[in-house]
Amino acid sequence: MLKIHNLHVRIGGREILKGLSLQVNAGEVHAIMGPNGAGKSTLGNVLAGRSGYEVTQGSVAYEGRDLLQLEPEVRAAAGVFLAFQYPVEIPGVNNTYFLRAALNAQRKARGESELDSREFLQLVREKLKVMQLPPELMNRAVNEGFSGGEKKRNEIFQMAVLEPKLAILDETDSGLDIDALKQVAEGVNALRDPKRAFIVITHYQRLLDYIVPDFVHVLADGRIVESGGAQLAQELEAHGYAWVRERKPAEAAV
Amino acid sequence: MATERTDLQQLLNRRYSAGFVTDIETDSLPPGLNEEVIRALSARKREPEWMTQWRLEAYRHWLTMTPPTWAKLNIAPIDFQAISYYAAPKKAPKSLAEVDPKLLETYDKLGVPLHERARLAGVAVDAVFDSVSVGTTFREELAKAGVIFCSMSEAIREHPEIVKQYLGSVVPQRDNFFAALNSAVFSDGSFVFIPKGVRCPMELSTYFRINAGHTGQFERTLIVAEEGASVSYLEGCTAPMRDENQLHAAVVELVALERANIKYSTVQNWYPGDENGKGGIYNFVTKRGDCRGDDSRISWTQVETGSAITWKYPSCILRGDRSVGEFNSVALTHHRQQADTGTKMIHIGRDTRSKIVSKGISAGHGQNTYRGLVKIEKNATNARNYTQCDSLLIGKKCGAHTFPYMEVKNPSAIVEHEATTSKISDEQLFYCRSRGLDEENAVSMIVDGFCKQVFRELPMEFAVEAKKLLDVSLEGAIG
Amino acid sequence: MSAVVAPFIESMRAAALPASGIAWLDAARREAMQTFLSAGLPNARHELWKYTALRALEQRGYAARDENASTRIVDGSAFALPGIDGPQLVLVNGVFRADLSRLNDLPQGLSVQPLSRALAENPEPLRFLLSRRVQESRDAFVSLNAALAADGALVRVASGAEIEKPLHIVHLGAPADSIVAWHARSFIELGEGARLHIVEHDAAAGEHAHFANLACEYMLQKNARLDLLTLQDASAGATLLRHGEFHLHEDAQLALHALELGGALARHEIRIALDGDRSRVDTRGAYALRSRQHADTELLIEHRGRDTTSDSLWRGVADGRARGVFHGAITVRQGADGADAQLSNKNLLLSEGAEIDTRPALEIHVDEVKAAHGATVGQLDERALFYLRSRGLPAEAARMLLVRAFCAVALSGIEPNELHEHCDALLLAHLPREDET
Repeated sequence: MLKIHNLHVRIGGREILKGLSLQVNAGEVHAIMGPNGAGKSTLGNVLAGRSGYEVTQGSVAYEGRDLLQLEPEVRAAAGVFLAFQYPVEIPGVNNTYFLRAALNAQRKARGESELDSREFLQLVREKLKVMQLPPELMNRAVNEGFSGGEKKRNEIFQMAVLEPKLAILDETDSGLDIDALKQVAEGVNALRDPKRAFIVITHYQRLLDYIVPDFVHVLADGRIVESGGAQLAQELEAHGYAWVRERKPAEAAV
Repeated sequence: MATERTDLQQLLNRRYSAGFVTDIETDSLPPGLNEEVIRALSARKREPEWMTQWRLEAYRHWLTMTPPTWAKLNIAPIDFQAISYYAAPKKAPKSLAEVDPKLLETYDKLGVPLHERARLAGVAVDAVFDSVSVGTTFREELAKAGVIFCSMSEAIREHPEIVKQYLGSVVPQRDNFFAALNSAVFSDGSFVFIPKGVRCPMELSTYFRINAGHTGQFERTLIVAEEGASVSYLEGCTAPMRDENQLHAAVVELVALERANIKYSTVQNWYPGDENGKGGIYNFVTKRGDCRGDDSRISWTQVETGSAITWKYPSCILRGDRSVGEFNSVALTHHRQQADTGTKMIHIGRDTRSKIVSKGISAGHGQNTYRGLVKIEKNATNARNYTQCDSLLIGKKCGAHTFPYMEVKNPSAIVEHEATTSKISDEQLFYCRSRGLDEENAVSMIVDGFCKQVFRELPMEFAVEAKKLLDVSLEGAIG
Repeated sequence: MSAVVAPFIESMRAAALPASGIAWLDAARREAMQTFLSAGLPNARHELWKYTALRALEQRGYAARDENASTRIVDGSAFALPGIDGPQLVLVNGVFRADLSRLNDLPQGLSVQPLSRALAENPEPLRFLLSRRVQESRDAFVSLNAALAADGALVRVASGAEIEKPLHIVHLGAPADSIVAWHARSFIELGEGARLHIVEHDAAAGEHAHFANLACEYMLQKNARLDLLTLQDASAGATLLRHGEFHLHEDAQLALHALELGGALARHEIRIALDGDRSRVDTRGAYALRSRQHADTELLIEHRGRDTTSDSLWRGVADGRARGVFHGAITVRQGADGADAQLSNKNLLLSEGAEIDTRPALEIHVDEVKAAHGATVGQLDERALFYLRSRGLPAEAARMLLVRAFCAVALSGIEPNELHEHCDALLLAHLPREDET
């Protein structure tokens, strides 16, 4: 589904991603771990299409299309979803209204029929139940006055409603206590599907106890320096990121 | 586009000639202003002598005043002798076919019903719809409640004692240059009187009153709510008011007695002028509300787009103890439009409260200015004011300016003012787009959220129109 | 022009312009005087003078200068400041006093001299500064100053020089034989990468009436940093106008603290132009007024370069029949992308009869901007007062404590520590007392 090849990305003149390559197929859950500053958030933002990131080399193919050429809303309609690390607040814009507009915009772009308010409300109620989210969330303005945990769960909820093909979770676990973490993980697991792929970007291994990945990659100094199965995460947790450098000094070198 | 209006209102939106049409005869007076013109004007309207005298007093005073000057405006000095103060309806287009297609396109986008468009475009419509029954239906309902809602001209003739008691009591003839002029030559306007304890059963709208299809240049409105009475009044419409007259000098006086409540809402789409902004309307309205009785309440809510240089700002005089004044405003400027709006809250009584929420949106080369005065007089014990002014900039060439003034003479007052100016954050835009909304829709949604606080104060029908108006006005603001 | 202020204007018109013997300087002074006379004094119709009437100038002519300023006996304790023992330049009634100053053994890179001496010894380099046509935006008093000021401070810091000890510039008003109007004009320039700390002190040797008109220009070259404290503790009868203009080049920084305590009528105009990219200004100020004092602060900050920052925090307290006026105008000009401007003005009104007029303003011509301002006028928190009293503090002391805490934020950052404490004590001494009428 997703083929990233030798991606080099610069922000403000500094090169952050230095030749990142990754392949993700439908149905797979890939975890990307790495120390701070390695480029984890950069990866998420570049895939979602945020401006300010300069791709100097490399390519990203999504379902055969050149992803980097597409506008953010086109990527969304194509099934790409980024759960933000710090979801922004949009005062005065009702959460339900926003989500319905987004869903219908995507459906329209795909040539599907739009949902009217009744149908949408029904969809929302179903998903709320599945995600075990309090219904009051839907009456508030987008992320306004939400606690950290509520914001993250709102992101996962949006994912449930928008049903993306490629879901990228950008440090979804940051700032969450253990209960909130479990709830988020449950939500994500409920959305696992043979037709859907996940990229779970995380700093700590903890989340991966609940969202068990198929593949784990270590992102250090702008590149993927090691890949493995779920147990790689445990090893990292036990030995730290510096251990990777020791093991594979060639790859870890700048 | 289907409207959500009731049957009654649909009937009302048709043109009708019974009821409130002012008695304008077909011939006009030649341009120029002097006592004879005023007498003639008063005579044409069949006004009692005391009214004629009132006008003359104002005129004599006006002669001693000088027009104000504004450094920022590039307007040529107005020649008051070149204006005709009593004009028959202008030469109107004979049919919609003669109307500017761009204007028709706007009506389309705003969802203006077909039968409305002719009136708004100033087309002289011959057919008189089922006017008598329409007029009777709601007049009956109002009459049952004891509410008087008619034209100023009619009020002067039919209810002189009320007019005499209140006219000029909030904005005296001598108040300012344009108020004096208006007092001398006002043509017509609305008169509303709600007697003691009555809650007006419906929202009053200027749609209900139609005269000759164009706004008067010198309109005068008086709304009086007696003890315990309440009323909600709507002014304006979302379709651009095309007008030959560039200069409007109107006066609106609101009087709220003890425990009375007046809500005055305006949704106005000022004619923006041509692409270069020439021909925009100069709107000198003195709008003032007197919270005369204890526990009274007056609120001004406005949504304005297009180009208008406004001088004199909707104000509240908080005279009665525990009286409350509110001002909620959304002003949007695009292309090369300019808006200058604001409010004055004067706290005089004890335990008075005022709240100001102003949202300005500038796009294109638009310039938006807020000017507000909060004045706490010496004896205004325990006064409270809260002001929030936010400006949103869309695009690189626009401007937003905030000039609040706070004058506090009483130590028990609490006055708080906050203002922010920024553009739509990239984060918010990206967030919306990453969820599938294209840029234009994202901006529209964010702007709507920005204005939510103010839209909440509008009567529902107006709120829907206001949102549509904002969307249409923002077209092309991105990219 | 009203007949009421005419005596002031007449006495200025009749004043002999300082004789310098330098042709270009005399011409500049004549031109400035003409500008003043044709402009007339500002009144309430001038937007920037809306709330400040020049009543002290009514019906009174002033002596154009104190003829005995150079020999007047003055007690040094009138202006000594703890922790400030470095270079010092003192002017008494607008005239330089070598006996009270400390200008020998200046640190490397710092040049300080009185304007009068510079003009006497080597005027030519000053030609540009002094003969510059008085711009339209300046008001009558700046012109008057240009015409009549014969002395002031001339300070230059060489590129790269970081001066450790603060420079103390004192403008002392001392009682003279008649009621005097005096003027002083200063120029302060910091070269690239220079660092300087200045304490500008408006001090008084008595309670007498007089008129003082100060104009200072500050130029901060690239990467320079100026820490400035203007400590205004003028005599109770003084009418004091202080006009400061600052120009900041790329990466320059200005940290300004202002304390307005004295004077019958004190007006402080602060005009800051953030010309250079990434230049920055932080202003902190407090005005504490009682009896019939009137203090007016006009803070005008213009963002012109890219990515400039301004952060302003002001506190005002008015008691008795005093009047505090604050105008904080932030302008972000077209092209000043990336500007970040914040302003907060909070005021306490402590008595009936006192008045606060505040108007923060924003004029924004750029969309890449973060600008916000806030202003409040209120009173002491009853709950806080009660809390302190319930812990044993007498009412008066509790009140003082809260007012002091309210203003403390404006003093934070004043160095050295002894000076900070001194300012705190001064403020405390100036705070309104309950027993005052």
